[in-house]
Amino acid sequence: MVPRGTRRHPAMAIGGCLLGLVVVASLFAPALTIYDPLKPSFSQRLVPPWGLGGTSAHLLGTDNLGRDILSRLLYGGRISLALAMSAVAIAALVGVVVGLVASWGGAKSDAVIMRVADVQLAFPVIMLAIAIVAVVGTNPLALVGVLALSGWVLYARTIRAHVLTLKQLDYIEAAATLGASDARVILRHVLPNTVAPILVIGSSQFATMVLLESGLSFLGMGIQAPRASWGLMLAEGRDYLSNAWWLATAPGLMIALVVLGANLLGDGLRDLLDPTLRNLES
Amino acid sequence: MREQDPRPTLIDRRRFIATSGAALVVASAPRVAAGQAKRSGEIAAGLSERMLTLDPANHYSISTTSVLRHLFDPLIDVTNDSKFVPALAETWRPVNATTWRFTLRKGVTFHDGTPFNADSVVFTLKRVRDNTKLIKSFVYQDLAEVEKDGDYGVVVTTKRPFGSLPSHLTMLGMLPPSAGKGEEAFFQKPIGTGPFRFVSWTHGDQIALTANPSYWKPGIPKVEKLTFRFIPELSTRTAALRAGELQVIDRVTPDLVETLKGTRGVKVVDVPAIEAQRWIFQLGKEPVKDQRLRQAISLAIDRNVIIKELLRGYGRPVDSPVPPGLIGHTTLPPKNYDPEKARQILKQAGMSNVSVDIVLMKDFYPKQLEITQAVAAMLSDVGIKLNIKNLEIATAREQRTAGTYDLFFSGWAHMPHDPDWYFGQWFTKAGSEKLTRYSNPKVEQLIAEGRVPDPKVRQAKYEELERIVWDEEAELWLYYTVAIYGVSERLRNFEARRDYYVLLSDVSIA
Amino acid sequence: MRTYVLRRLAQSALTLLGVSVLVFVILRVLPGDPARMLLPDGAPESAVAELNRQLGLREPFVVQYGLFLGSVARGDFGQSFQYRAPALRVVLERLPATVHLTLAAMLITIAAGVPLGIFTAVRRGTRYDVAGTIVAVLGQSLPNFWLGIMLILLFGVALRWLPTSGFASWTSLVLPAVTLAAFPTALVARLTRSSMLEILNRDYIRTGRAKGLAERSVVFRHALRNAAIPVLTVIGLQIGALLGGAVITESIFAWPGMGKLIVDAIFFRDFPVVQTVLILSATVFVVINLAVDLLYTVIDPRIRYL
Repeated sequence: MVPRGTRRHPAMAIGGCLLGLVVVASLFAPALTIYDPLKPSFSQRLVPPWGLGGTSAHLLGTDNLGRDILSRLLYGGRISLALAMSAVAIAALVGVVVGLVASWGGAKSDAVIMRVADVQLAFPVIMLAIAIVAVVGTNPLALVGVLALSGWVLYARTIRAHVLTLKQLDYIEAAATLGASDARVILRHVLPNTVAPILVIGSSQFATMVLLESGLSFLGMGIQAPRASWGLMLAEGRDYLSNAWWLATAPGLMIALVVLGANLLGDGLRDLLDPTLRNLES
Repeated sequence: MREQDPRPTLIDRRRFIATSGAALVVASAPRVAAGQAKRSGEIAAGLSERMLTLDPANHYSISTTSVLRHLFDPLIDVTNDSKFVPALAETWRPVNATTWRFTLRKGVTFHDGTPFNADSVVFTLKRVRDNTKLIKSFVYQDLAEVEKDGDYGVVVTTKRPFGSLPSHLTMLGMLPPSAGKGEEAFFQKPIGTGPFRFVSWTHGDQIALTANPSYWKPGIPKVEKLTFRFIPELSTRTAALRAGELQVIDRVTPDLVETLKGTRGVKVVDVPAIEAQRWIFQLGKEPVKDQRLRQAISLAIDRNVIIKELLRGYGRPVDSPVPPGLIGHTTLPPKNYDPEKARQILKQAGMSNVSVDIVLMKDFYPKQLEITQAVAAMLSDVGIKLNIKNLEIATAREQRTAGTYDLFFSGWAHMPHDPDWYFGQWFTKAGSEKLTRYSNPKVEQLIAEGRVPDPKVRQAKYEELERIVWDEEAELWLYYTVAIYGVSERLRNFEARRDYYVLLSDVSIA
Repeated sequence: MRTYVLRRLAQSALTLLGVSVLVFVILRVLPGDPARMLLPDGAPESAVAELNRQLGLREPFVVQYGLFLGSVARGDFGQSFQYRAPALRVVLERLPATVHLTLAAMLITIAAGVPLGIFTAVRRGTRYDVAGTIVAVLGQSLPNFWLGIMLILLFGVALRWLPTSGFASWTSLVLPAVTLAAFPTALVARLTRSSMLEILNRDYIRTGRAKGLAERSVVFRHALRNAAIPVLTVIGLQIGALLGGAVITESIFAWPGMGKLIVDAIFFRDFPVVQTVLILSATVFVVINLAVDLLYTVIDPRIRYL
């Protein structure tokens, strides 16, 4: 049985499949490759991919330390995907809570929160990243924090706008008049209405998080060597683009695939659940 | 790269006759007097490190030294094989252990026509000593008196023996005394005695220079215009060379040598550099405080594999803390690769599963992350876990000062072609206090004794102290680096320098 | 309306003040020592301490901030630690390159993104739509530096049609602007597409079609005007992003702009330059957002702000 709507939204199905494929491949990395992604092999440096001068021993070639690229791609996928997913989850959580507080808690808290958001938005993410990493260190938790920090505002603003319109709806006013407590109103009437926007934003933000992680790792703020992450592989391949272009192209294409999948999925979800969200800045 | 045809053909013989005929004609023509070769053309060079200032006394960067050498002349120059030769000073003599006497070149003028003489030297030296905001100031604190001795002589007395003074002076361009009246304005459009004059500078981007037609050395410079562009991104720098936009670039990595060689119009020149890649230990705290662990670490590293595979042969095995060609170089027992012995030592010392943190300054040295990961794999073979911390430069240095590291990826390019600074910094108690926390009174005494001007005495003292620190495994000496430059085939007379300077005064372009 | 404008102005000023405090605090909380960045490894501790004192970093924090605000009011943003020249001058030197690049990238974004969006919307569901979407996603997801270096290798080295780096002439703008514009173009294309799709299905459009208006007229005169709003929003946000975030592109192309300047300044702990750039770019960001907000009220008086 095909999930509702996929027949009318083939793009969403494709996107979902693509994403699912990558996730599954990463999860089953040890079964799919025999090479240790971390162990150097000095005599096997910079071997081209199979078909472009290399052998079938290394389908996507090897990197500057002789490590198999396919293997690093799969294991690295675990890290990159896990980071992106946790960052999206945390950003959504924080953003929704803040958005609710801003829209429900009165004009003063609303003003303060929106000012804070403005100030943060005026800062380039990079500077915030550098600051956080410099103080806290380069562990993955800090990285998730930085990614989440870059994303919460969108949720907050969207939820806030949503709630402000909802607040004026009759049945909400009625519930409040009838004596339902704030919490009850929020939980039973408001939150369910916000699930759709959260899902839509989340899926396209996932793509943004993957890209951001790669950008941060590129600048050295992200995952540390010798672990593999797509961003770090990109960074390590940067100096070899003239003579060993496959080092950076493999993770780049992988990121593109994931972003494509996430975007298609997100578009499809939006079409399915709530077309009024078309005009969100993503 | 064209293949050579081994059989000389008829055509070849004809061409041979033609060219030798032409050569005879040229050889019999009246010789053009040396020094009247005309200036022509422009050269654009790409440097990997940004230049930060136009003040010779206010920086310690290799690329800034390269560039400013074209604007200003120092008293003494250093050749590529570390010989000191006259520049603005014709002679320099140690009168005694704490006094130097300089005689100056006559007939030199600054770019604005004012003459160069002892006033300039006195001003420049006193300025760098007295203005403690200047970055080079601390080196010259040992100057006691700087006095004119006639218009073309200067006597410098120092507080304690300063045998390396001439080498430091190779990096200090001479300023006109007029710079003192309004320094900020002066350094907007600086005036020196150098082979080129200042045209313009955009911070962090590029500096443009034009030839000084009245330079005191005949025939120099050989081009009309010189531009230095600062391009830290390796791929971009090499692309610009390959596209013909630049004629020389520095800091080429071994992996790109083949690509450059395969590009038409481009060639690669390399020379062993006076730089040792050596990692430092935090000697004040466990676990690397223990000499046995340091020894085990050194034995576990296969330096030859690093040189051969990662550096593609562009590296030299170390045989002394000081690279060959400098005073103090000697031949000490090589650092061998012996993982079995390393394991034994660790076992005997009761150290199994040791964990060591290494701190790197992000993007500081090319391929540093690669080499560190390789070493990490080698160390894990003998049971030592190396944790890699690739930090922002400022944060890394902070950790180094605070002492919260075990190993630190580092190197030392013996910039004034003299190891006195190196020893004074890293092997005296005061110098290494916020660095490696090294302390050995015997070594300290030898360093002090090595400060005298007599080169024979210095060599003897340095050899003795090097033997001690080499055995102590005070630092982790890995290899000597090789400086690789990408050069356009249109350039003539370019010299690949061991100190990473890019000097183009006597380079011409076809 | 007037109160709205005044209120927004006050809010903007507050935001700027907040930014300045945040920058100040963050910089001084960061580990790492400006003096140690300037002096070579071989410098003694006393030299480090002395230089820090000379740079004004030994004063209590509040004093430093007060002095800073005072001098900013006089137009003096301090002296760059790295370059020992007035920070404002160092920053403004890099401004033209940034402005040129941003404008060029914006031009490409609008000139390529909007038509692509319209095209794929109008041809919805066909292979043109699919192809267009794939191109857009590639633009959004291919790493910036990968694209940049590939363009350099192709057009600069192999073909020698364009300069590989630096800002020498208008031809130098092409490759960096294309690289920088890839992401926003894709974004604008997809947004225009979805905006148009929504409008094209609305009743009044159907009415227009039923009345017999030419398809072209329907698309351009009615749909496009209404689809402009979200596109404008994104363009406004992107300008801000471009100004501050072109770091990678600037690094690749050795572009003498402000993005690279600020990252270098942060790594070097050059406080005055970081402060200057952030305050200037925050000002631009705030002004542009204010302009966009005011533009909204002009375009659609029904929009009300709570």
